[in-house]
Amino acid sequence: MLYRVMDKRELPALVRAFMESYEVVAPVKRGSGYIFDVIGSPEEIELDYTQTASSPKKYLMPPTETLMKFDANMNLVEDFIEQVTPRVIFGVHTCDINALNRLDVALIGGKYVDPYYQARRDATIVVGISCVPNENCFCHLWGADEAQFGYDLFLHDIGDKYLVSMSNVEATNILEAACELSEATDEDRIAFRQATRVRQSAFNKDIPDVQDVAMLMDVFHSDPFWEELGKKCLSCSACASVCPTCFCFDIRDVLTPDGKTGERQRTWDACTNPGFAMVTGGHNFRPTGRERVRHRMYHKLNGFFVNHDRMLCVGCGRCVTACKTGINPIEVLRFFKRKGADHAK
Amino acid sequence: MQSNMSRGIIEVDALREATPSMSGKEMLLGNAYRPWPARITSMRDLTANEKLVEMRFIDERVREAFVHEPGQFLELSLFGVGEAPISITSSPTKQGFVELCIRRAGTVTGALHSMHAGDIVGIRGPFGRGFPVDKFRGNDVLIVAGGLGIAPVRSLINYIHDNRSDFGKVTIVYGSRTPSDIMFRDQFEMWRHRKDFELYLTVDQPDDTWDGEVGVVTEPMKRLDFNPANTYGVVCGPPIMYKFVVQVMREKNIDYDHIYLDFERHMKCGMGKCGHCQIGHQYCCIDGPVFNYWEAKNIQGSM
Repeated sequence: MLYRVMDKRELPALVRAFMESYEVVAPVKRGSGYIFDVIGSPEEIELDYTQTASSPKKYLMPPTETLMKFDANMNLVEDFIEQVTPRVIFGVHTCDINALNRLDVALIGGKYVDPYYQARRDATIVVGISCVPNENCFCHLWGADEAQFGYDLFLHDIGDKYLVSMSNVEATNILEAACELSEATDEDRIAFRQATRVRQSAFNKDIPDVQDVAMLMDVFHSDPFWEELGKKCLSCSACASVCPTCFCFDIRDVLTPDGKTGERQRTWDACTNPGFAMVTGGHNFRPTGRERVRHRMYHKLNGFFVNHDRMLCVGCGRCVTACKTGINPIEVLRFFKRKGADHAK
Repeated sequence: MQSNMSRGIIEVDALREATPSMSGKEMLLGNAYRPWPARITSMRDLTANEKLVEMRFIDERVREAFVHEPGQFLELSLFGVGEAPISITSSPTKQGFVELCIRRAGTVTGALHSMHAGDIVGIRGPFGRGFPVDKFRGNDVLIVAGGLGIAPVRSLINYIHDNRSDFGKVTIVYGSRTPSDIMFRDQFEMWRHRKDFELYLTVDQPDDTWDGEVGVVTEPMKRLDFNPANTYGVVCGPPIMYKFVVQVMREKNIDYDHIYLDFERHMKCGMGKCGHCQIGHQYCCIDGPVFNYWEAKNIQGSM
């Protein structure tokens, strides 16, 4: 990976350069926390944020979006053209970059390309920023504490400077025009090495590192644990809303008041919703919280993994905060850690 | 990607139908969320609650590009009402037309029941993995269907019928709730006299007109005599039926991967994206809806 060093004082110049031709989205302070939002000036950006309440996925897959417009009487499609806003998502942590890479696999990998997601992804520049984990972070357990690809620029914090990984021409051109870059010195390299050490040693050691998680999901599929966990689920969908990798959706038609025309829309959906796996006629393939919560964890920690060789969880820890009843992957890992521990020598 | 989807622009263009340069395949796959207009060419009652609907794509290129395998499904679209996944009940050997067997059960199927020949619907697809007819070729086939499960299986039955010399002995066991729920009865009655299809119809609740077999589909299956080494089993029906039928097939020594099951799930997008049809680690819509029993045993929550 090509890299250069920039002085931190040049950051506002870089942001302003992006703002000339892009809408810039970045972490900003809202109330007691942080969110990703459109910024009006570089000063709003909070690059030292711990975690945002929700991920930047909403800019690639909006909570509700129009797929097409139609004439309901004729049952025909009408012309529908949407110009996607060229956008820079600035200050993205590795967990969220890895989450975008997983959304790419799900939505534009395989036989069918999702043209709506692809148009937005193609029009988006991602600028990553290194971070120090908080008490709910467990990205390192899934190898999501580093981003190998999926970003255009990545700013590694090395004190007064950033070591910048550059993987995209367009973004690099803007960077080079806006900032004075230098070659890394031995001092910079050592500072980078120390920064990665600090990050690695900062993870919460109470979150167990369990091997064979995917296989354990199969082996303990019938364990009473899932009944306990499922009973607590309120089906509020908060987990899926804040999850950077949840991509399931519903498709629905919305008519104009005269009923003559309308829009076919897609909206975020969640497999913890009671009717998610119900078929016409009323049969529900996942009728209770037990099956639904188990399926959500199973798809994250087994299903996606066996098909794509990576978990559909990046350990961002947002669901740990969002779930009001304490259902999250850490609890699953703790269950696996407890299981059989009293028999261990 | 597709020719007219340039960077940063999301486009669904009604006029694309009139773009002469596009092939039918590009039209179907360019934006696979977009349904293509088809005209209802005939509708007839199969039972009090089920209709056979025949449709034909209006655009000739789409009509030619829409080629399905027995066991595949499509998304039927009524703008303003919604979409529903429906298995294709006609054989691919019937060219230019698509037949669906529609039970009035939800909003889309309810609305369709009140439509008429000449009306326009939207169709996208075909989706999914159907029956492996090439594997079946040269072998005996035992087909077991229950209720509406006959709809996707009829596509296979008609395909075999139209290529009859390619297949060995064909046995069909079809169970219905009552005699008046039996679909395609005229077709089956016609075949009753044929030597090359062995047919067993059963009902749960007989009426005064019924002089046939009463009981579940596994009863006639148990009496059947076949060579497991060259027999493929096919099962489609209500969720409860699968394990009992598979049990009999296994007792008759049909191998795990010679038993094919057609599953029903809520296949909303048809493309392995929306998540509604997930079974364990698989998507019913792209990995299925037809799975062999070995695959099904390896999927959490399949049966």
